[in-house]
Parts: sequence; structure tokens; C-alpha cells
Amino acid sequence: MEALTSFFGVSAILLGIGIYGLATKRSAIRILFAVELIYNAANLNIIAFARLRNPPIVTGQVIVLFSIALAAMEAAVGLAIIIVAFRLNNEIDLRKLTRLKG
Amino acid sequence: MTEPAFLVLAAVTVIGSIMALEARDLVYGAVALGVAFLGMAGLFILLDASYVAAFQIAVYIGAVVILILFTVMLVGPAKGEAQMELKRVSLLAAVLVATLIGMGGALASAAAFPGSDVCGGSCDIQSLSRTLLIDYGTQLELLSLVLAAAVIGALTLAKAEKKT
Repeated sequence: MEALTSFFGVSAILLGIGIYGLATKRSAIRILFAVELIYNAANLNIIAFARLRNPPIVTGQVIVLFSIALAAMEAAVGLAIIIVAFRLNNEIDLRKLTRLKG
Repeated sequence: MTEPAFLVLAAVTVIGSIMALEARDLVYGAVALGVAFLGMAGLFILLDASYVAAFQIAVYIGAVVILILFTVMLVGPAKGEAQMELKRVSLLAAVLVATLIGMGGALASAAAFPGSDVCGGSCDIQSLSRTLLIDYGTQLELLSLVLAAAVIGALTLAKAEKKT
């Protein structure tokens, strides 16, 4: 049963890739990719933990279903914000969108 | 769990996510993100969560990746790189075929070794639906309301700026 911990390795790798993308990428769409990767790492972690329990429970799967729906609506709102930012500035490079900096 | 199905699916997920961030063109990045989501769905199947895997494919690949592709079409600059087209497409096809083979291997290995690490009656689809609809029914309805509000908000946000 402790062989399931290899899933935690994949989850950690995905989290690392997502944080790397958040830190280094400039395009807003790439940063949205990174956020989605972090969502996926969290989902995999929750499912693996729920499966690791003895006996396994399904509450983890329910939570992951909710999390996937929340990630979908986050992507919809984020892409709408990206479209509005592009219409206003002709630019989605987040390092250059400094109008709100004051 | 160092079986080949896990290794292939983990490799597809990790390589797909790296490609999603590092691909030169955003369209290929979005497709690589879809491949990574597909590998993640395979990992969910390995963890006896096949309904979550189906939900993942339907929501992420069916909705989120398509949304991202449309946004890239609306926003991104059209950088034509015609001479690299065939090589990239063949690489993409290779990754997709590897994913399909991995998922097939996952299903085959689950069928070939019965009773080795099966989840049993506590995570089948019936108990999942019972938990989802009875224990968490209120939260499910609230989530649908939040989803409707978010979609209407996104539509309003993307549409209001067109007139000004």
C-alpha cells in the first residue's frame, strides 16, 4: 500500500512545474496554464490520500469533483479577464500591465 | 506501483506539463496541456477513481482547453512557422499515441492482476454517487449556482468592453 506514495512524487513534480511557471512566465495565458497545473497537483494529492486510507473513502473523490468544477469556472473568469485586458491594452504580458500600480 | 502503466502515465503528465509551459507557440502549449490532463486522468484511473477521470476529461479537455484555444485565437499573435509544422505535429501525435497506449496498459494491468490492490466496495460508483448526492447535495446545488454566476460574470466581463 505504501507504493501509492509514488503518486505524491508526481504531484510534487507538477506543483514544482506550476510554481516555476508562475515565477518565470510573462504571458497571462501561460500563468493560467501554471495555475491549472497546480490545481491538478492538488487534485492528484487529494485522490491519492483518500485512496491511501484503509479502508479507502470516496469523500476525496467528491472533493476533487468540486475542485475540478471550481477550476473550470476559474479558467472561464480568468480568460474573460485576459480578453478584457487585451482589449484595453493590446498586451497580455503581465510584466507590462502596470497601469494599476499607481 | 512501479508498474509500467504508472511510469508511462506519469511521464506523459510531467512531459506534457513541461511542454505546456515551454512550447514556443501558445497553441501547442494548450494542446500539450490537454495531453497532461489526459495523463492525469489515467493516473486517476490507476487510483480507482474512474468517474473522476471521466469528469476530468469532460471538463478539462472538453471545456477548459477549448476555451484556452479560443482565447489564444482571439488574443495571441499569429506567428506562422510553417517549416516546423510537420515535425511538431508528428511529435504531438507520438505523445498522443503514447498516452493512449498508457491508458490501455493501465486498463489491461488492472484486469490482469485482480485482487492485488483493488479498492473494493468502498470506492465504487454507487457509494460515490450516494455520497455526492445525499451527503453533499446542498454543496452540489450551491456549486451549480456558483458556476452559473461565474459563467454569467465571465460573459458580462468579456462583452461589456466591446461597446466602449
